[in-house]
Amino acid sequence: MDFTLCLTQRSRMVDSKRMRMTSNFQWPLLTFILLYLMSQVNSQKKGAPHDLKCITNNLQVWDCSWKAPSGAGHGTFYEVCIENGSYSCYPSEKTNIKIPALSPGDHEVVISPLRDFGSSISKFILSEKNVSLIPDTPEILNLSADFPTSTLHLKWSDRGSVLPRHSNVIWEIKILRKKNMEIVKSVTHNTTLNGKDTVHHWSWTSDMPLECATHYVGIRCYVDDTHFSGHKEWSDWSQLKNISWSPDSQTKVFPQDKVILVGSDVIVCCVTRDNVSSAQIGLTKCPLIHLDGKNVAIKIHNISVSASSGTNVVFTTEDNIYGTVLFAGYPPDIPQKLNCETYDLKEIVCSWNPGRPTALVGPRVTSYTLFESFSGKNVRFKRTEASTNESHQLFFQMLPNQEIYNFTLNAHNPLGQSESMILVNITEKVYPHSPTSVKVKDVNSTAVTLSWRLPGNFAKIKFLCQIEINKTNSIQELRNVTIKGVENSSYLVAVDKLNPYTIYTFRIRCSTETFWKWSKWSNEKQYLTTEAIPSKGPDTWREWSSDGKNLIIYWKPLPVNEANGKILSYNVSCSSDEETQSLSEIPDPQHKAELQLDKNDYIISVVAKNSVGSSPPSKIASMEIPNDDLKIEQAVGMGNGIPLTWNYDPNMTCDYVIKWCNSSRSEPCLMDWKKVPSNSTATVIESDQFRPGVRYHFFLYGCRNQGYQLLRSIIGYIEELAPIVAPNFTVEDTSADSILVKWEDIPVEELRGFLRGYLFYFEKGERDTSKMRSLESGRSDVKVKNITDISQKTLRIADLQGKTSYHLVLRAYTDGGMGPEKSMFVVTKENSVGLIIAILIPVAVAIIVGVVTSILCYRKREWIKETFYPDIPNPENCKALQFQKSVCQGNSTLKTLEMNPCTPNSVEVLETRSIVPKIEDTEIISPVAEHLEDSSDAEPENHVVVSYCPPVIEEEIANPGLDEGGGTSQVIYIDIQSMYQPQAKPEEEQENDAVGGAGYKPQMHLPVTSTVEDLAADDDLEKTAGYRPQANVNTWNLVSPDSPRSTDSNSEIVSFGSPCSINSRQFLIPPKDEDSPKSNGGGWSFTNFFQNKPND
Amino acid sequence: MLPAAAEPAAGDSWGMLACLCTVLWHLPAVPALNRTGDPGPGPSIQKTYDLTRYLEHQLRSLAGTYLNYLGPPFNEPDFNPPRLGAETLPRATVNLDVWQNLSDKLRLTQNYEAYSHLLCYLRGLNRQAATAELRRSLAHFCTSLQGLLGSIAGVMAALGYPLPQPLPGTEPTWSPDPAHSDFLQKMDDFWLLKELQTWLWRSAKDFNRLKKKMQPPAAAVTLRLEAHGF
Repeated sequence: MDFTLCLTQRSRMVDSKRMRMTSNFQWPLLTFILLYLMSQVNSQKKGAPHDLKCITNNLQVWDCSWKAPSGAGHGTFYEVCIENGSYSCYPSEKTNIKIPALSPGDHEVVISPLRDFGSSISKFILSEKNVSLIPDTPEILNLSADFPTSTLHLKWSDRGSVLPRHSNVIWEIKILRKKNMEIVKSVTHNTTLNGKDTVHHWSWTSDMPLECATHYVGIRCYVDDTHFSGHKEWSDWSQLKNISWSPDSQTKVFPQDKVILVGSDVIVCCVTRDNVSSAQIGLTKCPLIHLDGKNVAIKIHNISVSASSGTNVVFTTEDNIYGTVLFAGYPPDIPQKLNCETYDLKEIVCSWNPGRPTALVGPRVTSYTLFESFSGKNVRFKRTEASTNESHQLFFQMLPNQEIYNFTLNAHNPLGQSESMILVNITEKVYPHSPTSVKVKDVNSTAVTLSWRLPGNFAKIKFLCQIEINKTNSIQELRNVTIKGVENSSYLVAVDKLNPYTIYTFRIRCSTETFWKWSKWSNEKQYLTTEAIPSKGPDTWREWSSDGKNLIIYWKPLPVNEANGKILSYNVSCSSDEETQSLSEIPDPQHKAELQLDKNDYIISVVAKNSVGSSPPSKIASMEIPNDDLKIEQAVGMGNGIPLTWNYDPNMTCDYVIKWCNSSRSEPCLMDWKKVPSNSTATVIESDQFRPGVRYHFFLYGCRNQGYQLLRSIIGYIEELAPIVAPNFTVEDTSADSILVKWEDIPVEELRGFLRGYLFYFEKGERDTSKMRSLESGRSDVKVKNITDISQKTLRIADLQGKTSYHLVLRAYTDGGMGPEKSMFVVTKENSVGLIIAILIPVAVAIIVGVVTSILCYRKREWIKETFYPDIPNPENCKALQFQKSVCQGNSTLKTLEMNPCTPNSVEVLETRSIVPKIEDTEIISPVAEHLEDSSDAEPENHVVVSYCPPVIEEEIANPGLDEGGGTSQVIYIDIQSMYQPQAKPEEEQENDAVGGAGYKPQMHLPVTSTVEDLAADDDLEKTAGYRPQANVNTWNLVSPDSPRSTDSNSEIVSFGSPCSINSRQFLIPPKDEDSPKSNGGGWSFTNFFQNKPND
Repeated sequence: MLPAAAEPAAGDSWGMLACLCTVLWHLPAVPALNRTGDPGPGPSIQKTYDLTRYLEHQLRSLAGTYLNYLGPPFNEPDFNPPRLGAETLPRATVNLDVWQNLSDKLRLTQNYEAYSHLLCYLRGLNRQAATAELRRSLAHFCTSLQGLLGSIAGVMAALGYPLPQPLPGTEPTWSPDPAHSDFLQKMDDFWLLKELQTWLWRSAKDFNRLKKKMQPPAAAVTLRLEAHGF
């Protein structure tokens, strides 16, 4: 509120007055206002109280102050009059006055300076809006520090008694650090006033240990009274209070042994009077943060999990090191898979998985408390080991008469806690121990009692137990029994329906009837049940001996389930109408007895005995009823057995018996027998003794009137195989056109199946010819005869040629396949009539032809003479004859055909490949030759221009020696002169020729001409080089054309240069060489024969 | 060896002399002649010396494991903090002159007392170790150290020295001071291992010295016999 405000108030008043006195007093009023304003201005100039300001700190008393007039001296008194319903005035010696809070609305305040006549009165309009609410400066009642936790505790009073109720107060607290007062924290804290002085607490945990530096705390407040319409302002800051640690002489590092959460930031400081040179956490150096004095700190960001002994933080000074250990870990995880059960209804076992490891061990390890809420009891679990992920267990003693338990498992470590709950009805969570002390006692041969122990107090519950019964070679059996639980842990059940004299293996497991878990199986207990009398008599059969005097009784040992014990012996007796004969006891391993009987009708009975008693007797009649209508049948097995069928015979009153034996054995033979009920008409005979390819003899007996009659006799194979031998055959008779063959039977053992026929092959052929090897019917020249009539033992082969060797093969076959073959060579006898005819006919024909020819010649003799024998000229005129004669006379008079020098014409030799074979004549063959061949392939258009002579001469040299030249026949003679001239040959070919085209090359020259690429070839060349001339071949002269060696590698005639083929392309001898002594070399006489010396 | 003397060539004085020489040559090698009935403290000193060497080797492995457990910088090879806290540990380092002038009795007594103390501290260390494997290793070493202590006691008894009796109430215990921080505890552990190693080195020297001192002068006997022979 200031003077301007007053003026405004005045003008408002003026306006209101003006409205009331409108027209009549308009002019006089304006004058008054003007005068008033002037007086106000004048009074200001003189000095009047101004700048009235009102503040309150409790909303009940306003403290108003103003500024004294400029001229007012010390000791000026003021009268302050306030219009507040009534008009009340207050004297004041100072320029401020405390007045009770005014009611809402405007109030006129007149401040009149007393005894100061120079000053004028000031009037102000004052309302609550113009008042500022500034709370008193708060005072910190107490500031304390908890150094181990680095926590500051602040305590102050809100002085609520002086302020109206329910005002909201905002407290601002600032925390400063170090001597240079760095603000590290500024927080606001809200409270509500309750009309009383209330002490407030506020705590703050520092990120830096409080020991590291001095911490200062200041506080101020702001009263947010909703009913107060004036200005609200923050109080002044309280006086700062500080907390500092008074270090003893020892240097220390803070915090000490602190447990912190992995990933958090931490400040570690060293309070010291020495200079710290470095700091490190683990192996990592950290930058130092300098604090007051020589104290230093480091800040660790995102600390990683510690090893079991903690993370070391070390500060190094000049002559010492100081450190602390931090333990970075995790708060305990929520216990997982908490499960409570009991083994014995005496003790409850609660197990759980600790979950994520906390990385804290030793005194910082997680401790667990299991609390049962109904009983209020708890048990604790603590181990100092590093907590692994294995399951933890706690044992809780069960309380009498309490079945339902509410467990809370609390996990706690320095970083926090967690818990897990479970509510269990413990009678439903019984996991019995494995039954022990299993005992078996027999009741009789088919029943036993089982007893076992199951420790625990189970009087209130029932058990469901499983008994596993195992018998050898049998499927296991599970029997469930329900037993009432007992207190003394002993249980007993009876197990019946067992077989006598059988080894059983028992084991037991139990669970409660309200199933929770099966116990583990008990140990197995083996028990042999006691013996009982054999339930049946043995299976018997009888056979008469071959002489018919003795009857042999056979029986089979009883199977285990019928013997019911160990069979000790057998009793055999025979009875007829008159007498009963009994044999002495036959001990067990023997299953056969022989009785001497006459052919009477006896009944033989066999009884098996064990330690308990005898079996019912098995009876069999001795009589054999004859059967005349018997024939031997054949049968072949299917799969593992041989099926047999027969017709139903109502006369067969007892049963059917099939006995069988190996047919190769002598009678009586018995391998085994099988009894079939009398109402059956078919069976399959199976036996492990059956082997493929073996013939068995089966006899089907029917039992009739206490005697057995042989009904059928069958031979059969379980499986037919091919014969293993060939039939033995011989040639009985041979004629010029037929052979009679005879063979023998194959023995049954070697036949291995039913014989189905023979195959007879024959063909022309002799021993030792390769085509005799395989005689198959597929070949056209092999004739086959299939003999399916197995009784046939001979075969005549007709329509054969006389005096011819035949190859005969015979083989037998069964349904199992072909047997091996037997072969034989037979030569048919000679047919003499045919031979005579064969001679006579050609002779007769020849005579007739001769006679006819003679007649014709005679009749046409004139014509023949003129045609074939004209007048013969004088042989002296024949030059050719002279020449031949000269040759015979010798070299000196040799006269050759006259050869005119011929002008060579060019001729193109198109077959350049013909060069190649010549290269083969050279000493150096493969690598270079291939090279050459390649090049000739690459340039098939290469033309070799050579010379040729007129065809007249060509005829002259067309002798047998030349014919052998093959592909080179186009090139006949080469003028030696033309060979010295450069020829139009491609350079490449020349190079190739230079390398390999020459007929003969001096070996020393070869490396010179070889190219680098032919180094490998060079090696070969060197290896193959047998002889090497001493001089360079370049220095050699082309001495004589008749020397094959004259073809130098540098000459262009190399394409002809084979010494072997020189015959076919003789060089013409150049004139300058005619004097050469070598020209008449004796070693060249054959070619000289064809040489033509023009000079001669 | 000796039966050779039973076949002298009769009447051959050179042969007799050769035979005598042979006998005399082999005399030092006859054990019965070199030994008195009582073997003396020599073998037990040798045994104790061997045991110190073995323990030294065993400690090297144990210390490696334990220092790794303490973590860096304790397991750094150049870590060498000043020996401040571990004042109660018996010091192995001694002035060379003092050491050389120690009497046998004092030498053995010091060894015995030092290992008695170190063994107590080591057992305390074992109780604190956080991992089972470390506890096993420490227990094994404690057993070996107990053996060394017994061996030293045996040597002292053989030499006729009484065992030092610990004053009642002064038996060292390794109960960590509650105000002792984990870091200072680690420093103590470090120094315990280091001091133990130094003691084992010193003991090896001590028993080597004793061994040489107690060795019978066998070489002199040999020389004397040789002189007779030739």
